[in-house]
Formats: sequence, C-alpha cells, structure tokens
Amino acid sequence: MLGFVYDLRKAGIPVSVRYILEFYNAIKKGMASDVDSLFLLARLIFIKRVEHYDLFEQVFAYHFMGAQQGLGAPDWDELLAGKPFQEWLREELESGRLSPEELRTFSTEELLAKFWETLLAQDGEHHGGNRWIGTGGRSPYGHGGLQGGGIRVYGRGLHGTAQKVIGDRRYLNYAEDSSLTNENLRQVLTSMKSLRPMGPESELDVDETIARTAKNGGEIEFVFQREMRNRLKLIVMLDNGGYSMDQYFMLVKTIFQRIRDSFKDVSFYYFHNCIYGTVYRDPVRVHPVKWENLVNQGKHTRLAIIGDANMAPMELMASYGSLDIYSNERKPGIEWLQELRAAFPASVWLNPIRKEEWEYQSTTIHRVGRVFQMEDLTLHGIKNAVAYLNAQGQAFDRM
Amino acid sequence: MRFEGTDRYHLTPELREIVNIAIALEKPLLLTGEAGTGKTQLAYEISRALNLQMEDARCKSTFKGEELCYVYDTVLRLNDSRFGSGSTGRDVNDIWDYLRFGPIGRAFRSEDRRVLLLDEIDKTDSDTQDNLLDVLDEGSFVIREINHRVAAKVKPIIIITSNAKRELSDPFLRRCFCHYIPFPPPEEMVEIVKLHYPDIPAPFLDASLTAFYRLREQGYEKPPATAELLDWIGALRAADSQGPGGGKTIAHVGTLLKRTQDLMKFKGIRKPSRL
Repeated sequence: MLGFVYDLRKAGIPVSVRYILEFYNAIKKGMASDVDSLFLLARLIFIKRVEHYDLFEQVFAYHFMGAQQGLGAPDWDELLAGKPFQEWLREELESGRLSPEELRTFSTEELLAKFWETLLAQDGEHHGGNRWIGTGGRSPYGHGGLQGGGIRVYGRGLHGTAQKVIGDRRYLNYAEDSSLTNENLRQVLTSMKSLRPMGPESELDVDETIARTAKNGGEIEFVFQREMRNRLKLIVMLDNGGYSMDQYFMLVKTIFQRIRDSFKDVSFYYFHNCIYGTVYRDPVRVHPVKWENLVNQGKHTRLAIIGDANMAPMELMASYGSLDIYSNERKPGIEWLQELRAAFPASVWLNPIRKEEWEYQSTTIHRVGRVFQMEDLTLHGIKNAVAYLNAQGQAFDRM
Repeated sequence: MRFEGTDRYHLTPELREIVNIAIALEKPLLLTGEAGTGKTQLAYEISRALNLQMEDARCKSTFKGEELCYVYDTVLRLNDSRFGSGSTGRDVNDIWDYLRFGPIGRAFRSEDRRVLLLDEIDKTDSDTQDNLLDVLDEGSFVIREINHRVAAKVKPIIIITSNAKRELSDPFLRRCFCHYIPFPPPEEMVEIVKLHYPDIPAPFLDASLTAFYRLREQGYEKPPATAELLDWIGALRAADSQGPGGGKTIAHVGTLLKRTQDLMKFKGIRKPSRL
C-alpha cells in the first residue's frame, strides 16, 4: 500500500502524511469493500485537483488492477500515426539525420526506440510542454513515462522571433506548484500589501458609540467606521507563448508563487508576445477577457506585465502585426500598450532578460520600455518595481 | 445512513459512492465543475432523501466567515438599552438575546444532524476560507464577545460548492474531499431529462439533445449547461413546438444562450470591429 503512495508522489502528486493516515483509517472502517470503492476512496483522499485525476488513474491501475489490465498493450498503430511521431520523422528526414533509404532498413521497434531516445534527450531542457506521449494509459512506456512532467516533441523557435506561429497552440502552465523558495522575494512582495480602510462605513465602532452616547446624555449616537481590508488588487499579465520565454520559465515560476498570497485579489492573464486588445484568462489562451472590463478596473489596481518584450518589430509597430493568424486586429501593438498604460497608472513591466542585455537582445524592448516602466526580474529590479508601483499607486489610493 | 439518490436527481453510481464515503468519514465534500451540473442541487437532494434539515449559506465576497457562525446585534441592544425592549421579551442584560446564529451556528447547535451547504465558496476571499476551515475542521467556534465556545453536537454533513472563480488554497483543499463533477455525456443527459419530463417523446428528446450538444461545442463564452437545457425543453413544450429546430433556427434560443455576445455570435452578427 505504501508503494502506491510513493508512486503517487513519484508521479508528481503531492501527498501528505495526513492523507495516508486518513486512508488507513478509512480502510479500517471498512470503507473499501471492493476495487471500485477503493478507487473512489483513494481518489477522494489523495487527489484534490482535477488536473491530477489522469495521473492518479494510471498509478492506481498500475498498482491495483495489474499492469496488463490497466495500461494495456501498447497501441502501436495509434502511436505511429500520432502527430508527435510523424513530426519527429519529418524533422529527421528533412535535417538529413535519417535518409529515406535508412528508414527502410529500420524495423518499427528500432524506429520507435530512436524516436524515444530523442525525446528523452530533450526532456532535460523542455519543461511543461503540452505534448505528452501516451496520455490515458496508452503509452507503451507507461509507468516510467509519468515522471519528469511530460515530454515535448516540437522544436524550438528560431532566434526567438517566429513570424507566424502555425499549428497547435502551445503553452506553459506557470501555475504549477514548485518547491522553490526565495524568502527575500517574498518580503519584497509582501511590502506591497496595504491594509487601508475601504468599502462602505458599515462597521459599528462600539466603543466610540458608547462614549458619544454617554456624552449625549444617553441619546444614542452611532459611530461607524470603514472596514479594514487589504485593498490592493493586482493584475499580472504573463507572456506564455512560444519559446522565447522558455529559458526564463523557472525564474517566472518562483515569482508567480510568491505573488499569489500577498494580495487581496490577484488576477492572472496570459498573452503571447504582445497585447492586441485581448488577454486570456487561461494559460491555453482560449478564454479572452473583454478589453473594456480589463481597463475599467480602477486606477488603484496594480498591473505587472511579465514578458521579454522581445518580438519582431513588425509585431509591435505594424497594423495587423499579431502573430495569431486568426487575428485581424488592425491597431498596432504599441497603441494597445499605450492604452493599457493609461488605464493603469500604477503599472510596471518586468522583463526576465537582464537589464544589461536589453539593447543587444531586441529593439522592441527599448520601445516597450518607453511606454512602461521596465525592470528586470532580479531581486534588485523587483525592488525597484515595487517602489515604483507604490509611489505611483499612492496618488490613487486616496481616491 | 446511506444516500441512494432521489426521484428528481440523476445520481451516477460514482457520485453516490463519493457522497456516502464523505458522510461516513464526516469530511466536508467539495464539489467543483461547470455551472449547471447540479452541485447545489445535490446538497438539497441529500437533505431531502435523508430527511435532514438544510442549512444553506450562500457566500458573498464581503463575508468574513464569522457571520456564518453568529452575528451579535449591537445596534439592537443599544436601542433596547435606550428605549427599552418593550414586550419583545428580550433582556438587555442577557447577551444571548442579541446573538443571532448563522447557518453554521444553527447546524452546530442543533440536536439532530443537518446538511450544511456552503454555496460558491470561491466568492469569498482566502482569509475567510481560512477562518471557515478551522471552524469546520474542529466543529466548533468561539463567540468572541463572551468567549463562549459553541461545539457541534452532531457534525453536520457539509457540502461545499465552487465554480473556481478563484483558486482555493491548498490547506483548504487538504481538509476536504474534492470531487469534480464532469459534464454529463448524452446517455446520462437522457436520464436527467427524463426525470424532469417523464413523458417526453424519444424523437423529440433526441433532436433536442443533438441540437444542444452541437451548440455546446461551438465555444460560447457561457456554454449552455444542464439547467439551461431543462429550461429550454420546458419552453419548447410549453409552446407546443413540434421540434427543437436546428442550425440557425433553434427555437427559444434565449433560454440556452444567456450572454448578448453569445446570442449575437449565434445569429451570425459580427461584433463591430474596433478601429
């Protein structure tokens, strides 16, 4: 049974001792009379997020139902016809690493082994991709394939400036938990927390009311005060598109974790490279947020944009510059950014590229920097950004 | 105590088992999933089927958690102390006459087991959730004014729902049993509709469901869910329609799509482009 728990952990599902005790207690109470109820019981106790359901099912099948039944025989045809394999094959042939003649000499197994080798080699540097091999227990690599958080098959964008990204929408889910800690950072960010009286004057000040009433000769006089609440709202917009942000992934992830619990309300939105009238509520960028709603959040809302601002100059300056081939936005990105800046006076652009490298990396960084106060994602840069946000925000907090 | 479903609610065997595990282990059950999948309804059906009284707390963003346990009415007490409580029977010297209990307070103080529903917990902010967590976990809360601990006589059956507007904190999730209710597939939907409209002719139902699922796939901002489907079929039958229509001629489409934008998209009106 403990093996099961360890495999859950290995598969990346957080398991605490508390769950294990709960699980044992429940079993002692006779809650798991058959495999079905054991399955549900274990899922209720160990799995708290729907994202983990699939992983859990695979581990459970492996452990309690026997590998044959749960993971099944690999479906070779499906794997061979699948997009990741086909893409890999095409790339190998185009790059000349594999000639068509050679191809014929390989057996299916050998070919797959080669394919798998490439993937494993890539695994080290590609994290968080959305292409997984063998979801739903169909992978011949089954259990072992669970580790390491999935394997991406697609290639890297060239020079960080893809003109049109065609194909599937890829994304990096920054929302993942990570055990990285950085207490300094946390302190800096917590300094942004501001408790100020806000909201309607709805809280009765009992002491003051009694004092005034007594002074009044017993005639009741109510004294109300505003509630103390943390009023700071923060909007974070993350560039999670393509590969240009890839190398800054871990860095952003840490920050992401830290900001989450320092504010009353933090909304995360996602965009790709530049903003054209829409940002998205989800990392996959399918649920757009209305621009009107976004810019009418009130001037005391803080806005932090995290992105490398490294794009093709056309994306920023030209009409119809959006990378999304379905987009028909006429207005150039820079105008959208200016509009955003006007709506959020307390805003800052955090760039994962180090300050010293900005001018070598891209001309667009400089241009965006003229619209938004830009800092880099170092401790120093963040301190600057926080100071800047506080200074800018103060004028509006009193309103 | 076993929950076996009711005549009005389609219960999958999986969900039934989950509810019963949660009841037996006395753990709060957190239900998530798309709006209109019957999360809130489930709590009501549990209360009906087990014949337990219901305590319903609809969460608001202004909640601080305490008001769900009790409210101390200072204003009333001040008023009574000034003008007298008259014939109301309240005693100004007795604070208990000025304490009013919220849903959690009532559920804890009750002699018999109750069903406690915390609806849309995600609307409250994370501090509130943390406060509630301790209360629910320990089954007790303290009335600060008189430092009196109210402990649950019988732990209520706690059902919590969330539409995931905001993420719930890890400690909160840790103390609940969490279940994600998936959107019912067509086979199950047939059963659900039949519960509400037992005499619906099969071809009519088939046509409606086909139109419904097709509509759902078109990626509207607020895709129609079970509740909308039931309203729609109700509207169609009330209007004596022969069939649900299809394509662009779906009758009473306003009951399925609620947002103006979605309706405009359905009718094929393009948003005026922003220049």
